[in-house]
Amino acid sequence: MNIAMILEMAADALGDRVAFGTRAEGLSYEELRTAARAVADRVEGTGAERLALMEPNGPIVPATLFGAAWAGVSYAPLNYRLPEASLEQLVARIEPAIVAAPNWVDIKDGSDRAFPDSPERPAVLLFTSGTSAEPKVAVLEHDQLLAYVFNTLEFASAGDDEAAIVVVPPFHVAGVAAVLSNTYVGRRIVPVPGVRFSAEDWLITARDEGITHAMLVPTMLGKIVEAMEADASLRVPTLRALSYGGSRMPAPILERALHLFPEVDFVNAYGLTETSSTVAILGPDDHRLALYSDEPLFKARLSSVGQPLPGIEIRIVDEVGASVGPDIPGEIQIRGDQVGGKYVGTDSKTDTDGWLHTGDRGWLDVEGYLFCEGRADDTIIRGGENIAPAEVEDALLQHDAISVAAVVGLDDERYGERIAAMISLRAGVEEIDVDHVREWVRERLGSLKTPELVVVTDEVPQTATGKILRRQVKADLGG
Amino acid sequence: MANQMGKRYVCSECEATVLVTKAGDGELSCHGAAMEIAQAKPLPSSD
Repeated sequence: MNIAMILEMAADALGDRVAFGTRAEGLSYEELRTAARAVADRVEGTGAERLALMEPNGPIVPATLFGAAWAGVSYAPLNYRLPEASLEQLVARIEPAIVAAPNWVDIKDGSDRAFPDSPERPAVLLFTSGTSAEPKVAVLEHDQLLAYVFNTLEFASAGDDEAAIVVVPPFHVAGVAAVLSNTYVGRRIVPVPGVRFSAEDWLITARDEGITHAMLVPTMLGKIVEAMEADASLRVPTLRALSYGGSRMPAPILERALHLFPEVDFVNAYGLTETSSTVAILGPDDHRLALYSDEPLFKARLSSVGQPLPGIEIRIVDEVGASVGPDIPGEIQIRGDQVGGKYVGTDSKTDTDGWLHTGDRGWLDVEGYLFCEGRADDTIIRGGENIAPAEVEDALLQHDAISVAAVVGLDDERYGERIAAMISLRAGVEEIDVDHVREWVRERLGSLKTPELVVVTDEVPQTATGKILRRQVKADLGG
Repeated sequence: MANQMGKRYVCSECEATVLVTKAGDGELSCHGAAMEIAQAKPLPSSD
């Protein structure tokens, strides 16, 4: 099948409903289909096999995603923040390719071209964020993306008052999933103006557009929480559901957010580029139970990423490849129809039995709730002890003055590795005593897990979606 | 009875599933009987 079917169905069934943009000026599903066909017309005859996109937002994003599908070529959204030379290198890796331009959006085009039922080329090519190595090009097939949509969503199930605010960039798998999912359920997509994320712009757009659904990465939610705490007029009364994911959510930020949005359903979504977005979710009831229960099993779940979606299997595997029982950490492996794991030019991370070896470390509790500790490669080994950077980062973020924390291992002659932390401070906090910060961690985690080095910086290196760029943090700290 | 756009129909005999992508007047049948609408368990929105 072809992901173009999603827009075809929405345009046939919901035609005039606004698909993308503001209530006043947005494009309808019918207009979006026209725009997608117009984009496909531009690709026709050029010999391109990939359609690249370098725009941050706007109607060109869904028009290019669906337009590529209509033309039977692969959609390749690129990180528009990169310098021009880097972008040229990325385009060179996916040739023959052409780049879409914003003026390609044409809602008066008369074309009634059909899309190929079974395109030969993959639907989407995504450059992985490359936090610990060079970016790879992940391949997502039409059938994998459709498995996610068909297994988890009901067609046209959104009310015509529903609207989702989308701030994840198009080049992230969540940006692709947001367009496909919201189009399939019939929920209007509202982008936030501007290239850099601003909590105030987000809150004002969400309020003015009557937003009901939102998806955020943890750093963005942190900024929104701070803005709401500072200004009681910044509220979004229409908001019903807020999902988050992309990197680990610090528990203190989540608890503050739950109190600021008491009526909102919170969902934690866990997924990878290679799994066509979400594979596990922690639902609203799990969040409430964790917040109000005294039972340790339930309380702990505020840091869980939840249970597998329909059609998804998750297992934990030890060093020799054997599946392990509850509460025992190991590598997270995932299997299901939406799971890819293929890359352009390098080996697949999916084995012959269909299990994707994620490289993420985690464990399952007795009821199958998944806990993710982060990349296995990031584990710090100090004097033979394994230390998850996430645990130390969480302890640092419990401190009121700290807004972002990155913990890495630096080479050490005596212990193999020593712990180093880079932190940035919350708005309004001028300075902090690093010995006080170390003492703060020692009181909570003991001296073994206390960073020997703490460096305060204006901005901790992060990707656009809030993932810590550990290679760069390490280099900056002299590792 | 016409089939409904976007609904999944399942055969109770062999569990074959069909997703309707264009509405129409026909009736879906499998193993000699009309296929039934599958009720999906609603999931909270994650994107």
